[in-house]
Amino acid sequence: MVIKLIALPLIAFVIGIFFLGLFRKITARIHRRYGPPLTQPVIDIIKLFYQKSVSHGRLFDFGIIVSLAGSLAVILFLPFAGICPLESSGGLLVIAYLLLFAPLGIALSGGEAANPNISIGISRKLILSLGYEVPLILILLAVMTHYKTISIAQIVSMQQKTGWAVFSAPLFLSGISYILILPAMLGVRPFDIASAPQEISSGVKVEYGGKFLALATIEHAFHLFIGISLFVNLFLGGGNVFVFFLKMIFVFIAGVFVHSVFPRFRTEQAVKYLWGWPALIALLGLVLAVTVK
Amino acid sequence: MAKKEEILNVLKSFRDKGYDHLEMVSCVDRIKENKFEIVYILSSYGENETVILKTAISRENPQIPSAIPVFENAEPYERELHELFGIDFEGHPRLTPLLLERKYKIPPFRKDFDTRKYVKEVFDEIPFIEDKK
Amino acid sequence: MDRNKISKWLKEPDKMSGKYSLWALYFCTGCGIIEVPPVLTSRWDAERFGVIPVATPRQANLFLITGYVSVKTLRAIIRSYEQMPEPKYVVGFGSCPINGGMYWDSYNTIKHLDKYIPVDGWIAGCPPRPEAIFVAVTHLWTLIDKGMAKGYVKYREKYELYRRNQEKVLGTLEWPPLFPIKDDGK
Repeated sequence: MVIKLIALPLIAFVIGIFFLGLFRKITARIHRRYGPPLTQPVIDIIKLFYQKSVSHGRLFDFGIIVSLAGSLAVILFLPFAGICPLESSGGLLVIAYLLLFAPLGIALSGGEAANPNISIGISRKLILSLGYEVPLILILLAVMTHYKTISIAQIVSMQQKTGWAVFSAPLFLSGISYILILPAMLGVRPFDIASAPQEISSGVKVEYGGKFLALATIEHAFHLFIGISLFVNLFLGGGNVFVFFLKMIFVFIAGVFVHSVFPRFRTEQAVKYLWGWPALIALLGLVLAVTVK
Repeated sequence: MAKKEEILNVLKSFRDKGYDHLEMVSCVDRIKENKFEIVYILSSYGENETVILKTAISRENPQIPSAIPVFENAEPYERELHELFGIDFEGHPRLTPLLLERKYKIPPFRKDFDTRKYVKEVFDEIPFIEDKK
Repeated sequence: MDRNKISKWLKEPDKMSGKYSLWALYFCTGCGIIEVPPVLTSRWDAERFGVIPVATPRQANLFLITGYVSVKTLRAIIRSYEQMPEPKYVVGFGSCPINGGMYWDSYNTIKHLDKYIPVDGWIAGCPPRPEAIFVAVTHLWTLIDKGMAKGYVKYREKYELYRRNQEKVLGTLEWPPLFPIKDDGK
């Protein structure tokens, strides 16, 4: 139990950082560049921890820790290949609540720094999370209705008997909807409106330097892990450590492809998109899951 | 060439004839004749023609009516000329500094402004910061 | 990675990580900035050296000044430089920041950038080729390794001299001093 409690965040950290490196490498290869080494995020984080950093007040320090803690808590409720320390309590409902902690913590932290770019970034981030939460909740409801449980571990084990949910009859609409909102959850290119460096000077991160930026980078790594891991658990049927990792990489690389070829949405375009087809398909999926037994 | 007092009327008549785009207001410093030459460049989208209007004002008392009542987009050009040549545009709502950061005794684009002397006096006077040996 | 490099990483991780992850703040003045987009994008790919552009001075530790510096720009340069977290390095790109270049007798460009902020390296040329940025970056690596890129330390130690020079050219500065100014009765 204790070992699992320590091991799962460590696994999430390693995989998240690896994803950040892979992200930059694959983007570079698609741009026909050589790209940085895979260890570049590690080097960056070490450098950031050695830099002097400027704090803008107590809430500025506190908010980034709240955000990191929220992500860590989600990770503890999320099974990775059967490793799940808090399996018996919570489940999908808790995750749906805790997912909001990370953007809220960043918003708290940025509000202290009083930079106009930060307030624009925060409002965009919250609007974006409002945008993808609607289809996400519908998807989670459909999954819970179909499997008649809120425990992710049971959902995974049921899928291993009956096949992946994304290919099975009542849930494939929800799966498609999840695929459509996945770039928004990960915050990659069509939906990187919250951290747009060219428009609002990297948004909420504009006042972060040194250790704060390192913590924000680690939080981003956790965020990538959560979004993909949830999808693999709910719709791709889990698996042992190796298979699970392979599935995650597969989903992630699809996300990177989307990232490196699409331009950025405007805020209202993003919300219009997220509340359009993905929400509609998710609603249809929920209706299908309720009616079809 | 137009007279200084007439310039607004001339501009207005050209505007009514269809030359309704003021491309630029510029200035030439004729130091030998002791005059500033203000140049207005007008163009017409319909005819695809350009008209260049010039007027001369004295160097000692550089005053001219502002062209804003006729062409509103003359505002930044006139501000710039006020800053770089020291020309006073009567009726301009705000002749505040536009580009320059420092104060100059003689506006820097006049011919009698000695840039090399200015550079020697201001920028070369500032000492280097030496490393300790 | 050979054994030499690993032992270096273990001995001084601050220097090594600072070397291989230079996050650059490009100050877009003058014509040198035209050379920078090819460096970042597919043609010359600066990311393989760990150099990426960032949008704010808080995240940067390499300051590239690409072109002539007018008096008004100097104000912004000083403010950006003082916001960057230490350790920070400045590279002057092109001949204009070195001694004024073709603007040597202009009334409005400062001639020597290193009178106002410390500069760790220069790239000569009018303007230099994009490859010159890589030469500068690799040279900066050697300087960091030998502990010679200490511009920020110099700025801290001689802050009153720098501040006096800045006030001479800009008049009064509207921001408070970055470091406490020692009053030695001068």
